[in-house]
Parts: sequence; structure tokens; C-alpha cells
Amino acid sequence: MLEHDFPPQLQWQPDPIVLDAKVAEAKKKLLESIKRSVYVYRVDCGGCNGCEIEIFATITAVFDAERFGIKVVPSPRHADMLIYTGAMTRSMREPAIRAYHAAPDPRIVMSYGACGCTGGIFHDNYCVWGGTDPILPVDVYVPGCPPSPAATIYGFATALGILDQKLHASHHVAPANEQAFIAFPSIPYKVRTAFEREARRMSGYYYGKQIVDEFMLAISKDKSDVFGAVDALIANESDTRKKAVFMDLKSLLMSKVVDE
Amino acid sequence: MFKLFKEIGKTGDATIGYPFQPLEMPDGFRGKPEHNEKLCIACAACAIACPANAITMELDAEQNYLTWDISYGRCIFCGRCQEVCPLFAITLTKDFELAVLNKDDLRESCSYEVAHCARCGKPYAVAKEVDYARRVLSKAGGPAAADIDKIDLCLDCRRFDDAEAFQKQARTRGEA
Repeated sequence: MLEHDFPPQLQWQPDPIVLDAKVAEAKKKLLESIKRSVYVYRVDCGGCNGCEIEIFATITAVFDAERFGIKVVPSPRHADMLIYTGAMTRSMREPAIRAYHAAPDPRIVMSYGACGCTGGIFHDNYCVWGGTDPILPVDVYVPGCPPSPAATIYGFATALGILDQKLHASHHVAPANEQAFIAFPSIPYKVRTAFEREARRMSGYYYGKQIVDEFMLAISKDKSDVFGAVDALIANESDTRKKAVFMDLKSLLMSKVVDE
Repeated sequence: MFKLFKEIGKTGDATIGYPFQPLEMPDGFRGKPEHNEKLCIACAACAIACPANAITMELDAEQNYLTWDISYGRCIFCGRCQEVCPLFAITLTKDFELAVLNKDDLRESCSYEVAHCARCGKPYAVAKEVDYARRVLSKAGGPAAADIDKIDLCLDCRRFDDAEAFQKQARTRGEA
């Protein structure tokens, strides 16, 4: 990344707004015993609108964040909480700061989505300052791309101190001389590669891998009657698309069999 | 009026009881990637595949440990790490409760011991991966396992060996 190669004194860095000690104390007090509704104002700093869609899904009848008094308001002057979505683009920095100052103290700032937390997939873009935190003091980070409505509700609950966070920073050191196991040791390596390529050709990444893993698990489980196991796998599959991939893999398996 | 209440009763409650009741996510939901450090050989396939650079691998200053590191804040939950992993060491779980108050809590890392080249002493791969490669190659046999004894050398040393062998071969041909 260019930022790391370039001397930092030659790069202009945005100066983050530092929270006043008095305000921080008031905010802590508020979060300890919050007994009222929380009004939310949403600032899009340059996102793809996926996060906005999820925020509006959160206030629909199914997830209904309004039953907790969480309401999306159209002005930062009514807001207790500001949600910053999207990576902080250079041109949206000023409006983001204006929205922050327009909200009454003590305001809660939420970084929403992968882009809001760290800049996400745009973290090394030329016009992006990273997430919300290089500019503003952030109270809660809600990762996800976009966060699902349930994750949003969890984020609100974490911000208000109702639920505890589950993730914690962790660092492990792997023990020395640990042996890794070999996946599917009974299938020859080249045959395995051929299966994996064929399955990915048939049904793309992610699902192709899941299907080929299921197929190879069935083969390696029953070593005495491999074709019987494959036939049983095909017969038990109700999804016709998956069945087609299994049948294709079976014909590939037939082509790999060598008569002795 | 009575009919309305009956209709309401029949329709039931559309709202999920999520924060009060646990919510089961549907199959195929791509949630938090779970790293199994025991299965992992630190081959860095996931770090290369990760489009958002959420997964990174870094060598420490003493060149003894290679650290696998994930930032859940940067992850876009695409599942490419699961896709490329040869050993099922990383899988996307249904866990969606990832919100944190402190940004540092979004990071998880694991260090692996690095193997050093037998000739020049440069770090070239994780010891666990070298061991894994040796076992896979010896099992595969054939031409793939021909230079299995050179697995302790780094890429530069092996290139040097290859060049030397090629030069020798060329000379004998020229003489003939």
C-alpha cells in the first residue's frame, strides 16, 4: 500500500475530533442508565447503499427496531445516535463533521458496515480516509457487508449497553511440531484436483466447493463400494441442479478408473 | 370488529423476537469466518484470495514467526477464504453478532513458526506447511516427488540449483 511506503510527514492526515472529558463523562452516564428512546440519524459518507437498505429493513415490521424506541429521524438535530455508513470519502468528510456538530451532546457515534469500520474493500482507495474513526470518535463498530438487520439490532443493543459484546481480540501462537492432517487421504491428489475443478466449472465458487466436498466425503467414507456410495448420494439428492453436478462428477470418476 | 380481531389472531406475530430469543440464521448464511488454527498450515491462500485484505500474513521482525491475522471490521463475508482453503481451516459460521465497542477487538491472529532454508538460512515458509508438503508429495509419488529432498531449500536456492543443473546439461550437450 502506498500509505506505508510513503513517509508519513509528507502525507496530510485528517485530525480526528477528540471527545471532551466532560462530554465523555456525560455520555458514560447516559449509557449506564438510558431510559428513553434513541433517535438515529444516518450519514452516508460514500457507501454503496447496501447498509442503508439494511437499516431500513431493521425498522420494518419483521425486525421492528421501533419497539425499542429506536427511530430513524431526518435531521441530526433530533438525533441521539449518528450512524456513519460507507467509507469516509474525502468529499464527505466536511458534511460528516457538520452532521456530528449538529447533533446535541452527548451523541453516540456508530460505525456501520465494513466500510464504516475500517474502510472495508475501499480501504486503500485514493479518495478514502478509511473508516469513520480517523475523523470522529466512534463508540460502537458494527461490521458486516452489509450487517444483517439482526446484527444491526445487536449493534444498537451493544451501543446502549444492553448486550455485551462477544468478540474479543485474541492472539495465539501455534505449538511447534504440530502436524496438519491431509484432507481426503484416500483420494489421489490429482484426482481430487480434477474433481474440484470440474465442480467449480459446473457451479461456480463457494457452492462448487461445498458440492465437491460432499461428493469426496461420500467416496472416502465407503472404500469397498465407491460407485454404490456415489449412486446412493445421487439418489438421495432432491435438488436437481446438485444432482446434475454429482452425476457429472460420477462420469469424471468413471473416466479415472483404470482396469487392472 | 370481531372479524378484525379474529383476522389479527389468525395472522399472528410477524415480528421476530430476536434480542430476547436466539435467532437461527438460514443455511448458507455467511457470517463470521472461524479460523481453526490446528488445521491451518498458514499457506496464505486465504490472504491472497481475500479481496478486502481482511486476512493478512506478516513476518515478525526476528523472522521466526509468520502471523496470520484477520480483521472482522474489514471482512466483507464473501467466503473466498473458505473456497481456497485446502484443509477446511477457515469456514464461515452463522454467527452474526460482531458489534464491538473497541476496534482492537475486531482482530484475531495466530502465529506460526517459520522454517529457514537449509543452505542460506532465509525464512521461506511455515514449518507446518513444509511438513505438510513433504507428506503430500511422498504420498503422491511419481515425478512430483522427484526433488522431495530439496524441500528444505528456499525458492532462490532451488532456482540456483536448477540453473546450475541446466548449465551442466547444456555443457555436456555442447561437447557431444
